[in-house]
Amino acid sequence: MSLSDIFSPLKKRLSTWLTPRRLRGWRENLTAYLMIGPAVSLIFLFGIFPVGFALFVSLHKWRLKRGDIIGLVNYTKAIGPLAYLLIFVLGVGLLFLAFRQLQRNYKEFEGRPLRFWIFNIPGVLLASAGLSFVNWTVVLLPNILDIADKIRGVEKTRELFVQLLGEAFSAPLVLTARGIMFGVVLAALIAVSIAFYFWRTLEDIQHQFSLAAAWLLAGAGAIVLQYVYGQMMLAYTLAMQTGEDPGILPQIVSISSGVILLFIGWKLWQKGSEQESMALFSFRIFGAMVFIVGGWIMIGELPIIVAAGDPDLWVGLKATLFYSLGTIPFQLGISIFLAVLLFQNLKGSAFFRMMFFMPYVTPTVASAAVFRQLFSNRQQAPINAGMKLLGMEPLQWLWEPKGILRLMANNAGIENWPAWADGPSLALGVVIIYSIWVFVGYNTVIYLAGLGNISKEVGEAAEVDGASRWQIFRHITFPLLSPTTYFLTLISVIGTFKAFNHIWIMRLEASLGTADTFSVVIFTEFFEKLRYGYASAMAFILFAIILGLTFVNNKIQGSRVFYG
Amino acid sequence: MDKALTPPRTKPKKKATWLLLRNIATYLMLSIGVVIAVFPFFWMISTSLMTLGEAQGTRLIPSSIHWENYGNAWKEARFSLFMWNSVRITLITLAGELTFSVLAAYAFARIKFPGRDLIFGLLLSTMMIPAMVTIIPNFLLVTWLGRIGPIKWINNWPALTIPFMGSVFAIFLLRQFFAQIPSELFDSARVDGAGHLRFLWSVVIPLSKAPLMVIIILSFIGAWNALAWPMLVTNSPDWRPIAVGLAGFIDEAGQQIHLMMAGAFIVIIPILVLYFFTQKQFTESIARSGLKG
Repeated sequence: MSLSDIFSPLKKRLSTWLTPRRLRGWRENLTAYLMIGPAVSLIFLFGIFPVGFALFVSLHKWRLKRGDIIGLVNYTKAIGPLAYLLIFVLGVGLLFLAFRQLQRNYKEFEGRPLRFWIFNIPGVLLASAGLSFVNWTVVLLPNILDIADKIRGVEKTRELFVQLLGEAFSAPLVLTARGIMFGVVLAALIAVSIAFYFWRTLEDIQHQFSLAAAWLLAGAGAIVLQYVYGQMMLAYTLAMQTGEDPGILPQIVSISSGVILLFIGWKLWQKGSEQESMALFSFRIFGAMVFIVGGWIMIGELPIIVAAGDPDLWVGLKATLFYSLGTIPFQLGISIFLAVLLFQNLKGSAFFRMMFFMPYVTPTVASAAVFRQLFSNRQQAPINAGMKLLGMEPLQWLWEPKGILRLMANNAGIENWPAWADGPSLALGVVIIYSIWVFVGYNTVIYLAGLGNISKEVGEAAEVDGASRWQIFRHITFPLLSPTTYFLTLISVIGTFKAFNHIWIMRLEASLGTADTFSVVIFTEFFEKLRYGYASAMAFILFAIILGLTFVNNKIQGSRVFYG
Repeated sequence: MDKALTPPRTKPKKKATWLLLRNIATYLMLSIGVVIAVFPFFWMISTSLMTLGEAQGTRLIPSSIHWENYGNAWKEARFSLFMWNSVRITLITLAGELTFSVLAAYAFARIKFPGRDLIFGLLLSTMMIPAMVTIIPNFLLVTWLGRIGPIKWINNWPALTIPFMGSVFAIFLLRQFFAQIPSELFDSARVDGAGHLRFLWSVVIPLSKAPLMVIIILSFIGAWNALAWPMLVTNSPDWRPIAVGLAGFIDEAGQQIHLMMAGAFIVIIPILVLYFFTQKQFTESIARSGLKG
């Protein structure tokens, strides 16, 4: 038996397997990966990795330089024990998402449950490979970060850097993490290639990915839950040592059950309004009321918890809330009005549209600088001069930390106005006016596009039937515009949480931070007070709020928006 | 008789006057809107041409026009440097952004590879992340890169441009456009022996001038408005872009309102010129992104 006798069948199998078509497919895939490579790696480096890094920073005491790991202290400092609850909810949410993903996959394997379970083996292994990779990076990261400090003051040479990098990668803890990672990755590779040998269509590969993602979510959820439990127990024992009962657990239990009760009540209410029979309807509504009242009582603990947080943050949140309540309804109202006027296609409407859009186009810093002078506290500043002409007292405007409602009450002669009814400060009021001025043009343009999509026949039919213009607007145009209104509300709410540039220019020390919205509070915490860890924790709270708002908005969109 | 078939009887003369009144009312309301929208601009330009004394008073129109304010503001605020900085930052960013986004968008739109939808979904989900979450770690990252690498990052072009070269929005916009190009074009190019790159360069790009223009305009506006990030990564004027320069000038100028307004108008002019010349595309690009905030 010669050598070629052994190899030729192998060669033959190889050549039947390595068809030109398969080779071409590989080349296509390689081309695609090379094409997305630069963009994806940049987005990963500056868009995805920083989220993990921010999490890492937020778990440290990090004032300009990295300090000790302090767990969730930054979060509890910001919002009190509510942090534990939110993170707990996050963990449960991750597990729920994982479960949904698995369920969906199970349905796609209809009638082949065995195959589904077999596919889960590489899925689990891939997920653990991913998690062990994350673990390795987390262990490695501090060592890598230290290189920059070690290299300081020394002449930068390639050799030194390579040597330091080598040291970072071979620190004892890193080596253990790497060993685990290699083991799991190897197992995952073997499992994947076995699965790939049997099922190699693109669809199957996608199932692999999606199952791996599901298990990754499940793993992350489990880790989050375990971590927050550990942190809570730690806080508890610490508090016990100092002899006071923190009362975190009962608070958390009561609030979460309150939320659940509210949710059940809401669901019952929804179901109830669909009921035909009177008895069932009243029964459901009654049940809903009981649940909702119970929920509210349970949630009554919330203010106590909230009081334990950082006052700066609550001031920022309050400012953001006032800011969105003060801008969004007005800018939407004005712009829907202008859009309807412009939509009649009068002569010169293009000119008007251009003029209305101009404030939005203008660079923010420049227009905010103009408003800072218009609403200056000087007696001769344009707005104050105008008020004098109208016989009113000049105001402090951007320099005024007092609430608008309090100022009005004082003007009317009421001296002891309660603090909770202050309303937004006058400084924030100017910011609100500025925002309306800027965004009306943008909203008008979007509304005009929305109006263009509505068919004219409905309106004309109503006109023939004798409907007045107001009736047509109220009962036809406005409901048909609801998708546009929804879209604009969503981006405006998210926009108020992100708002930065104009507030940065218009905030003055005299206004005592009353015009600082959430993003500005975070930025000052980071840029001026150099508390990196704490600012990162606050940024994650902002992230959670934005995600929550989007989620709620999506729910509302399903039920309330009318797509004609 | 059916009521809808007969036109309602109204005296034509009365109807005409009513229509006229309605139009007058509409124009009146629109004009009030325009006055409010334009007044800050008017006041800015008018004040920028006054003397210091007039600018601090209550005058609305300058008694004599002082063009030299612009020269003074330009010199004092070092606008030539800041404008040049913003322009070169935009150009460097665009060079990277356009190349990388076109390549990636093409692959996402035209090639079916394993993990495509997963990666694309992951990229899209990053658009949800607020800038404040990533700004701190990115600052640390950029400082680190500058300390260990051969080139400076802080106070230099890399920190200001490289993080913005991978743009999810640009990839998304281009992918949507590329996916609409009929596949017959690609098939015939393939028969002629053209590969992906060749097809991309000689067929797809010439067809996609509109979305590329949108990306260019948006990058320019973005660079002109950028404040928080450049404030972090520049601590000298060498690479400081225009918005940071103007913000510094506002604080320095103090009570010299006339110079401040001249400075503000200088910063606005290039954007307004761009707006008036590419009005349709400009409006469309901003409307489509909805990213300003």
